[in-house]
Order: sequence, then structure tokens, then C-alpha cells
Amino acid sequence: MARYIIRRLLTMLLTMFLVSILVFAIVEIAPGNVARNILGAYATPEQEKSMQNQLGLDRSPVIRYLSWLLGSDWQASRLVGYPLKVITISEGVVAKYQQWWAVDENGALVQWEIQDGRLYKLIRQSDGKTKAVEDEQAWKVNEEGRKYFWGINNANQAALWMQGEGGVEYRLEYSGWIASTGSPVDYIPLSKGLIRGDMGISLRYKRPVSEIIARRFTNSLILASIAILVSIPLAILLGLLAGLNEGKPLDRIISIGGLVTTASPDFATGIILIMIFALGLKILPGATVFMENNSVLKDPRLLVLPVLTAGLVEIGYVVRMTRASVVEVMNSPYVRTAILKGLSSRQIIFKHVLPNAMMAPITVIMLHVNWFIGGLVVVESVFGYPGLGNLILNAALYKDVYTIEASSMVLILLAVGTQLFADLIYALINPRIRYS
Amino acid sequence: MNSQSIINQSKSPLAWSDLLFRINQTWKKIRGFFELLWASPTAMIGLAMVLIWVFLAIFAPALTRYSPLEQDYKNINKSPSAEHILGTDHLGRDVYSRLLFGARTILLLGPLSVVVALIIGIALGLPAGYYTGWLDEVIMRILDTFMAFPAILLYMIIISALGPSSMNVVIAIAIGGIPGIARLVRALTMDIRTREYVKAAKLRGDSDFTIMVREILPNCRGPLIVDFLMRIGYAAFYIGTLGFLGLGLPPPTPDWGGMVQEGHTHMMANIWPVLSATLAIVSLVVGLNLFADGLREESMRYQ
Amino acid sequence: MSSEIILQLENLAISYKTRKNIINAVRDVSFSIKRGENLGLVGESGCGKSTVAYSIVNFLGPNGFVQHGNITFKGQPLQNKPEKELRQIRGADISMVYQEPMSALNPSMRIQDQMAESLITHRGMGKKEAYSEVLQALKQVYMPDAEGTMTRYPHQLSGGQQQRVLIATALLNNPSLLIMDEPTTALDVTVEAAVLDLIAELQDRYQTATLYISHNMGVVARVSHKVAVMYAGEIVELADASTIFHKPLHPYTMGLMRCLPDVDSPKGTRQLHPITGRVPSPDQLPVGCIFSPRCEFAQAVCLEGHPLLEQITQDHQIRCFRATEWQNQKPTFSEEKLAEPCHSNKIEPTQPLLGLNDVKVYYPVPFKTVRGFLGLEKRQYVHAVDGINFQVNKGRTLGIVGESGCGKSSIARAIVGLESIFGGKMEFVGLDISKPISKRSIATIQQMQMVFQDPNSVLNPSYCVGDQIAFTLRRFRSVPKNQIQSEVERLLLAVKLDESYYYRMPRQLSGGEKQRIGIARAIASNPGLLICDEPVSALDVSVQAAVLNLLLEIQTKQDTTMILISHDLSSVRFFSEDVAVMYLGKIVEIGDCEAIYKPPYHPYTAALLAAVPRPNPDLPASHVRLHGRVPSAVNPPSGCRFHTRCPFKIGDICEAEEPLLRHLSENHSIACHLTGDQLCQITI
Repeated sequence: MARYIIRRLLTMLLTMFLVSILVFAIVEIAPGNVARNILGAYATPEQEKSMQNQLGLDRSPVIRYLSWLLGSDWQASRLVGYPLKVITISEGVVAKYQQWWAVDENGALVQWEIQDGRLYKLIRQSDGKTKAVEDEQAWKVNEEGRKYFWGINNANQAALWMQGEGGVEYRLEYSGWIASTGSPVDYIPLSKGLIRGDMGISLRYKRPVSEIIARRFTNSLILASIAILVSIPLAILLGLLAGLNEGKPLDRIISIGGLVTTASPDFATGIILIMIFALGLKILPGATVFMENNSVLKDPRLLVLPVLTAGLVEIGYVVRMTRASVVEVMNSPYVRTAILKGLSSRQIIFKHVLPNAMMAPITVIMLHVNWFIGGLVVVESVFGYPGLGNLILNAALYKDVYTIEASSMVLILLAVGTQLFADLIYALINPRIRYS
Repeated sequence: MNSQSIINQSKSPLAWSDLLFRINQTWKKIRGFFELLWASPTAMIGLAMVLIWVFLAIFAPALTRYSPLEQDYKNINKSPSAEHILGTDHLGRDVYSRLLFGARTILLLGPLSVVVALIIGIALGLPAGYYTGWLDEVIMRILDTFMAFPAILLYMIIISALGPSSMNVVIAIAIGGIPGIARLVRALTMDIRTREYVKAAKLRGDSDFTIMVREILPNCRGPLIVDFLMRIGYAAFYIGTLGFLGLGLPPPTPDWGGMVQEGHTHMMANIWPVLSATLAIVSLVVGLNLFADGLREESMRYQ
Repeated sequence: MSSEIILQLENLAISYKTRKNIINAVRDVSFSIKRGENLGLVGESGCGKSTVAYSIVNFLGPNGFVQHGNITFKGQPLQNKPEKELRQIRGADISMVYQEPMSALNPSMRIQDQMAESLITHRGMGKKEAYSEVLQALKQVYMPDAEGTMTRYPHQLSGGQQQRVLIATALLNNPSLLIMDEPTTALDVTVEAAVLDLIAELQDRYQTATLYISHNMGVVARVSHKVAVMYAGEIVELADASTIFHKPLHPYTMGLMRCLPDVDSPKGTRQLHPITGRVPSPDQLPVGCIFSPRCEFAQAVCLEGHPLLEQITQDHQIRCFRATEWQNQKPTFSEEKLAEPCHSNKIEPTQPLLGLNDVKVYYPVPFKTVRGFLGLEKRQYVHAVDGINFQVNKGRTLGIVGESGCGKSSIARAIVGLESIFGGKMEFVGLDISKPISKRSIATIQQMQMVFQDPNSVLNPSYCVGDQIAFTLRRFRSVPKNQIQSEVERLLLAVKLDESYYYRMPRQLSGGEKQRIGIARAIASNPGLLICDEPVSALDVSVQAAVLNLLLEIQTKQDTTMILISHDLSSVRFFSEDVAVMYLGKIVEIGDCEAIYKPPYHPYTAALLAAVPRPNPDLPASHVRLHGRVPSAVNPPSGCRFHTRCPFKIGDICEAEEPLLRHLSENHSIACHLTGDQLCQITI
């Protein structure tokens, strides 16, 4: 059993590794230029090139992938020659951002900058301000005899300066393009990597992705768990009723009803429910209006339609799976044995049919989690619900690559994790696996 | 193989009877399929629902006076009237006409993407199931990776990367369908390859390719047909959903999902565009599912 | 008391509703069973035996119903009993034992709970009390490690143990009637023998009235006092066991006896007489006597009227118009003269065709641990075939016998190249064939063909019969292209079918016909060596004989060398000149057929022979029985592999040293530590 778990865990790790490659490949290497996408259609080629450089997009895909997954700080730290440290700065309640610093011999946090062609070391003071100290002796000499220096700049990048031959750096600030000369010729954007919890900065919201995801994830989880808690028990009950009455009108109605609710696309179900309950009966709000920082639970009425929509699709599926499983078990030789033992129908159903008939749906329901999550994305977009699905959709429409990547990985991890969990549960309740 | 055997014997007097036999055989298969269909009311209802849409799609130009793209700013968000059977949308386009032409889109792209997925899925699943071992392991790991994605998520990031277009929708949905089909083919192959007629083929020294194509693939037919029909349902489901999410066909192409998306924001002003497009997609997808499911149940009953 | 009638069926007729019509599956069945009596119900598959059994417990499924007739149990009519009363009888006064023990047990319940249920429901026992009763019951059926078995799940038991559990469950409430539906069919022959011993013993002890259903005449002969022979939904003959087996009167019963190969008759001394035709399906019954289309002695009257089951002596009922005739004079069957087996000229030694030298077939065990997967653990193997030597001479037939899992099929697959060998050497007419089929020349491939076991998977359902034979002809270019069709037709005739079969699809054929097409396809390449892997074991008895005869004819006429793989010692004796007995990947005895079937026996051969159910109720039960289960082939036992189950084990030497094959006579070797004299004393 322990071996089984370990083996499954390793398989899951492998799958997640391959998933990360695939996600990265589709999102970043596919045609479509990330820099141009940020800059808009009117950027000049120079601006675009500088942007590519600053974002590290001009490096090889393998390096970019490794930086994204494992971080780039270890690589930058080697070039700079100092250990790097990231600190979180809070301004007010909401705004939080991260700063990368190098830690010099004295234990001080330092960054560098070029002023008028001269290199300055910026030493962080305890009040958060910096003190500039000239650092001209830090230049190193390469094989060609030119002076260069790898340091950390104030934009969370490791930067390569060449003495006397700085390039032009274009930055898009709120006020517009800022071009600065004498700036670095190469950049490594610093990140700790996905595995170490650094999901990058959202191109759209300009905030750490992990922070955005955390709140959205909670919201999605609330919606999903209510939907599942409501629908699964009901669905299993209906499936059981249908399966025990195989071929009778009740079974027909439940089966066809189940088929119609699963087959209908979630958005259509959502729209129909809105028409009925919001436009027709006017008893529920048709769209969810949430303030960014309010809990989604503040007005439960807002949750009713999203939960109903997500639940309906799931109900149909689970009903059909449960029914099929019950029918199969009802026709099995061991139930025949039980009947011919003279047991009562109640004993047969609760002791022989249910324990065996529930095994298949438990795995199948968990395996269906992918479908359910997909449905959640749609439901959230129908109702404007501030969940992870809605976030991904907007990221996909805006091409906010780091957000897409990170939230995809979170969703897939959730899906794969649930499946692993399902397998373990199955192994636990099924004596054939438990004792082998 | 069959046609070859006819050529071989073209000189013998038996050639005609041979040809007749083969025609008869094909006819019997078709008849068997229809017998199956007649036996299942569910499948019949499903087929009827689908056929209505196929009919409307094929004869769309003859069934409406309006172009689906023509905008009429003087008639915006009109309710149904003799002029416009289902009214007009927020740009003054005829909803009925957009519905018919939208059926063309979904009925063309759906099957097309499943056919693409089917071809690739068979090409992957057949050798995986036949050879097993490391080849199977590699193919399955890769397919598992795709299966780890919630389908919608995969489609979303693919379309987001490739850009919305009908071609890219087909590519995305085909990619999404390949793992399932390959797994099915693989499972069937693993079962069929242990059959004794496959051993007999090996004992006459047939190549692996011949065995896979001649002995195994034809016997995967039944489950594959049912799966194919199911998947057309899913494909329609997802084409609609992608359209609704704004990742389907770029406007102004008539697309049911897109119509729901656009109509959804003008729901208070005019419910007809969103209502008709929603019901259209539901009826088509449910019809396809009823059809496939009815056939599946009926064919299981025969076994 | 002993004459009390427990169960009585009168003119029972059972029908099934289908989509198209109503099928009368069982008609006019009457019999009675007294206390302590065992009635055997025999017949081929699909003749309605199980339907009768399930009608007694009123469990015919949603489509089945009793059309007319009476079922009386202990004087009470059983039909139309309300569900509640039925429930009180089921499992208490009437209990059942089923064919597939594995699927008849609930996979997710412990044995003790499944069994105790019966006691708790019917006798209102407490759990504790019920468990102790269950333990007693398990001990009564000689369950090894009864205490341990209590808490196990069904999949942890062997097939024989599962069947013991079912028998114990059935007997828990001391029922008046026990219905056994093919309880030993799914078991290996030595296990079957042990279970049959148990059934016979319990029969004597509890004096339960038993309805015993089987397709195997030998099994029924072993346990039943009275035998009813069923054919196509009707009882055609009913008498006490010795009458049925020694003086049968119905042509069908006689036919069944004549088509059985006899384990006690050497090759060439006895012929098999198949019953022509096939069992009619219940919706296409012939007019008149249902057996008339297959009956040699059918007269005009048989084709018109329907005979009744008539009492001809006190204990003998028969459904035949000519029954009184047969009473006075036994019918003489016309002898189908087979080509004379060239048995005589095979005594002189011929050229060796196939030689195996220390051949091993191992299957890697899938890795169960992470370490194993990373290659850190020693790979484990199933030692399916572990060093085998034999020769097959041209024109002779070698039979390989053994129970399932002994490696006999692996040997067959290795020879034809479907399986790569792990070690050793194989030669075919001097050519090295130690490589798999993909590396063999087309000429070698052509020389070795195989006849397979399962008629349902032997033909590709997608192609018509003719095409499938033609595939082979084209591949080997045996005949010019324009003669392929006529060659296929010739082959169809050679397997006793006609040209019209060319365009038949496999689903339109019966099992026997499919098997014949499989044979036609195998001989299409004109092979020098034909390997038959259990060619008849999935067929009905009456069809088995025809297929065996066909193979024998091919062997004789074309002088084809054959290897027959079988678990059935009777057909091997009927068919082979040489025999090898296998146990757990090793040959334990090999030699001339007649030498094998006579003492001295290897202990395992003796046990196998003793286990064969013989259609003769007067034979006493044998004392040579095997216990325990076949050890795993992954870690086979040390020394003699048979030592864990051998009833004649002599001591440590059996565990320490592996016995080598030792010549006892010119054509007979045995691998055993017992001396020749000791071996001679083993009797079955």
C-alpha cells in the first residue's frame, strides 16, 4: 500500500513536470510576441528589442523555462558574485511589492546604478532609503579587455553594464515611454521560480501573481465546494433510484434528465437559469457584483445561480455514472447469490449493492474533476464571479502570460491532486487493491 | 484488400458473385446499423434533432432573405416580427439568419476537428497498444500530460497563444480529443491483440503494420463509431463554449457561442438573440448526445 | 423417512420473452428428488439445465416465467409464493452452489460476514454465535487454515477454496434441497476431483436432496444416484445412474457415451463417434421428436409425432418412439470408417523433426516497487517453462498434458515463435529456430502452424471465412493467384464443410464450425508441424469428437507431425503416440503413450489419472488426491517442484535435490526420487 502511494506520487510528479513544460511551451514559445503584446502595435523595433531584453525573452527557451520553474536568482547570484535577497515592502494596506538586493561582504543590502558613466553602489539604509557610494573599482575586465560589471538594478533585474558603452533602455511607465541611455546591455529578470512560490508579476495588474491567485483561488474553492456538497449527495441518490428501477419510467426520466443537464454547455445552462430566475421570476440577481476585497459570502443570494449552474452539470454526470454502476452490480452473480441466500431487499441494497456500486463512481467523479473545473471557468465568466477561472480567462484574453502560466499550473495541480486522492481512496475502500 | 481480391479473380466466373457478395455484405452492415437505430427511440429522437439542424444549415441561403452579416442600424434589438422571424440583435442583424449560418459553422468545425483527432488518435493508440513496452509508456505519459488539463483550460491557452480563428479552434479541439481517442484505441488494441486470429496472422508472418490495420483496426469499429458520435457532441459543446468566452471565431462570423456572449450583455433590452442561440446550441448538443448514447446502449444490449 | 419426496417437478415449461417473440426454453420437465438422493441433470450447453434450476428458486430474471406445470417442494407448491415466503425458503431450506465461485462471492466483504449473513437472517443468531458456526462449517469442508480464511476476502482464495466456501455457505442452514450448478466446471481437474470427493462425502453425511447440474457425464457418474439427460429443453432419458451409464436406451444418451474419448483405451483401439449436426436453438425446434434430425434411427413416425417421456421399467423413463425396440435389441450404429491409422509403421523410428534442448520461457514480473522501477532490484521472472528437452519425430504426435499454469501453452507459443525463449535451443529439421517469428524465414514460418483453443476468437469477425483462409494462401503463395478460390474450397471440403461456407461470416457459425475453419486455415500452408493448443476444450462433447476425428484424419492422411496440448488425459490418449506430463514448467514424465498410462506412474501423473472423471458410477473413488495449491512459478519450490503437494514424498531429498528424468524403459522416463519398484506400486 505504501509502495502504491509512493509510486502514484512519483507518477504525479512526472506528470506535473511534463505539464509545466507543455504550459510554458504553449504560452511562451508559440507564435505571438509577448513584448509586442505588452507594448501594443505602435512600438518601434528598438523599443520592442529593449523590452525583450529586459524581460529576458531574448534568451534560449530552455534557460527561460528553467528560470521560470526554478528561478533565476541562483544564476544571477553567480554572475554578481554576492548572495541575493528578496524583501517585501508594504505601502499602505494593499500595495505590496518585492525588491531584490545583493548582500555584500558587510551584510548590507546593495543595488547598483550608473550615473554619468560612473558606477555607484546603492546601500540600503534602515529607513528604506539608499545611500549612493561610488564603486568604480568593481569593474571587471573580460577577454577582450573591456570593462564590465554584473550587478542588481532597481527594477529587480540582474544587469550587465559595459563601461562607456551603455545601450538605450526604454521603459513603459504610466506617464509613457522613458528612454534612458547608459543603461545595461543585458538583463536577467530575477525570480525565485514557480517551484519556490514565485509566480512572477502580472503584466496586467502589475502585482505578484501569487497574491492575486490566492484570493481568487479561495473564491473558486468556495463556489466549487458548495456546488459539490449540494450536488453529489443528490446525484448519488438519484442515480441509485434510477439504477434500482432499471428500465422503469422513473429510471427513464432520471437518465434522460441527467443526459440533458450534462450535455448542455454550462454557459447555456447559466443563461437559461438567469432568464428564469433573474429576468422571469426576478427573485435572484443575474450577475454577481463583488467588491474586490469583500468576501463572496457576504451576500449569499449572489451565490445561488452560480452554484446551481455548476452543480446541475455535475449532477447529470454523477447520476449517470452511479446508475450504470448500480445496474452492473445488480446484475452481478454475487448479488444473485445474496438474493438466493434469502436476504431482504434492504440488506441486499445496503450490504451488497451499495458498497460495490459506490466504488466506481467515487473514482469516476474524481476523474471528472477536470470537467468540473472547466465548467467552473465558464460559470465564473457567465456570472462575473471573481474566481480563478475568470482570472485565467481574462489573462488569456489579455495575454497576461505569467498569470496564465501560474494559474494553469495551480488548476492542473488541483485536478491531478484530486485524481491522486481518488486513486488512494479507491485503493483504501477496495480490498482487492488494499491486500495486494 | 477486398478490391484486390476482386481484381485477382477477374477472369474467373466467380468474380461477379464475389462482387455481389461484398456489396451485399456492406448493405447488411448498413442495414444492421439502421436496425439498431430503429430499436432505440432515444437515438431516433437525437438523430431527428440533429438532422433538423443539418437541413437548416445546408439550405440556409434558401431559407432566409438576410445576410447574417448585414447590419441595419435603423432596426436594432427588434422583437420577432413577420419581417425578422426571431428579431434583430444589437447591431440590427437578423437573428434567424445568423442562427442558420451559425449552424453551418458548428456542424462543419465539430466533425472536422473530431476527424483530425480520430486520425491522430488511431495513429498513436494503435502502436501503443500493439507494441506496449517503452513506446506505450512514452506515448501514454505524453497523453496523460494533455489529459491532466481541464479541457477548457487547454483550449483557452492554445487559442490565447495562436489567436482566435476557425482553424485554431479546430486545432485546439482536435488536440483536446486526441488523448481520449488514443486511449480508447489502445485499450481496444490491447484486448484484440490477444485474440487468436491475431496470433494466426502472426503465424503466417504478416507484418506488424498489416496486423494492426487489417486484423485489429476493423474490430475497433463499433466502439470507435460510438465514441466518434459522442465526441462530435463534445466538440459542438466546446465550440459553443469557446465562442461564448470570446475565444471562438472572431466576429462578425455567425457563431452560436458568440451570439450568446453578445446577446447576454443586451439581455435586458432584447432576450431573443440570446434565447434563440442558447436553445439552438442546447438542442444540437443534446441531440448529438441522445443519438450517440442511444446507439451505445442499444449496441451493448446486443452483446 | 428416506423415501420422503423433497422436490417434485411436474410438466414444467419455462419461457423467455424476447423483443421478437416468446422462446419456450424448457418444456415438459418432470422429475422428483427424495431425501438423500442426488439427481444429476446432464446435457450440452444451452439445453435448459440452469433454467430448470433457477425456476425452482423462482429466479428467472425479468423476462423468464413458468408457463405451466408445478414445482412442489416438501408438499408445498413453490410457484406464486409471495416474495416474503420465498425469502424464508431461499438460503435456508433450498440453497445453491454456482459455477463461477469467484464472481458468486461479494468481492468487498470478508468471508465470515458473507457466510454469517445467512445464519443471522434465517436463524436470528448474534454475530459471535454465527461466526463460530461459520468456522465449524469451514472446517467441515476441510478448508485449509479455516480460522485465517474467516477474515479474508474472496480474491485471496484459490478457485477450489472459493468453491468450498460456497458449499459451506449452502450447507449452513442444513437445507432440505441443495442445487449445484456446474460447481466444478471452472476448476482444474485435480481440484475438481477433491471437490467432488467432498460433495460425495457431505452427501452421505447430511442426506441432503441434491440437484446436480453438469455437462460432464464423468462428473455426474461420480456423485449422482439418478441421472436425467436433457436435450434442447426436454428430458429425454431418466434412470438410475448405473442404468444410464451401462444400459442407456435413448439414441442421444448412447451418442453422448460413444463420442467420449476414454482414458482407459489406447490409441487406435477405439473410435469416437460424433453426433452429427448441432443442438437446435429453442426458437427453431424441429417438428416431431426434437432429436430426430440428428438421430440415425429416426423413422417417419419420429419426424411427425412428439414422443412423451414414458416409464418403461420402474426406474427408467425414456422419450423415444422406439424405446421398446431398444429394450429388446440394442441399436447398431453405423460405423464411420476412419482412414486406418498408420499406427503400425510408426513403430520404426523416423527422423527427428523438432528438437528442444533445455528450453526456458520466462516472463518478467512487472515491477511493484519504486526501487525495482529504477533498476535497483533484481528482475523477477515467472518461470513458465524451465528447461525442457524433447524430440518429436516425423509423423508422430506428441501430447503435452498438465493443469493450467504448468507451462504447456508457453511451450507451444515458443515453438511457433510467438514467444521468445529465455534460454536453450530449438531445432526444426536441423534449422535453428531459437528466435522469435519476426526473425524467422517465411519458409520456416510456413512449416509450423497452430490450431487454437477459443472458437470465439479464432476467426476475425470482420472478414468472411473464405477471405481468412485466402490470406494465408496469398501470404505463402501456395497456389497461383487465380486458383486461390478453388483451393479455399478444397480446404473447406477437407475439414468436412462445403463451398457455401466461403462467404459465411464468423458470427453465423457454430463453435465446431469455427474450429474447423481454424484448422483449414492452419493446414492451408501445408505445414510440416501442426500444434494444437487445447483444440476441443471449449466445445460441446458431441462436437469435440468430430473435431478430434478430423484432426486424426489429417494426421493420418497427410502424415502431419502434431503436438497436442491438452489438460484432458482422455483426448491425449486417444490422439497421441508420445506423451509428456508437465508440472510447473518441468516435464515430470515423458514417453510412449501406453507407457505413460500404465504403471509405473510419476506421482503427479497418477494424481492426474485418478482425477479424471470416468463415466462409470461403479468405480470406487481413488485415494490419490492432491492438496494445497500450485506454488507460484516466480519462486518455484526447491528440489522436486512437486514436493509441496506430493502424496508420496519420501523426505528431505525431495526438497533438496531436483530429480532428473530417468529412463525406466526404452521409451519411458520419469523425474522422481522414488525407485522404479516404488513407482510401480503407485496405483490410482
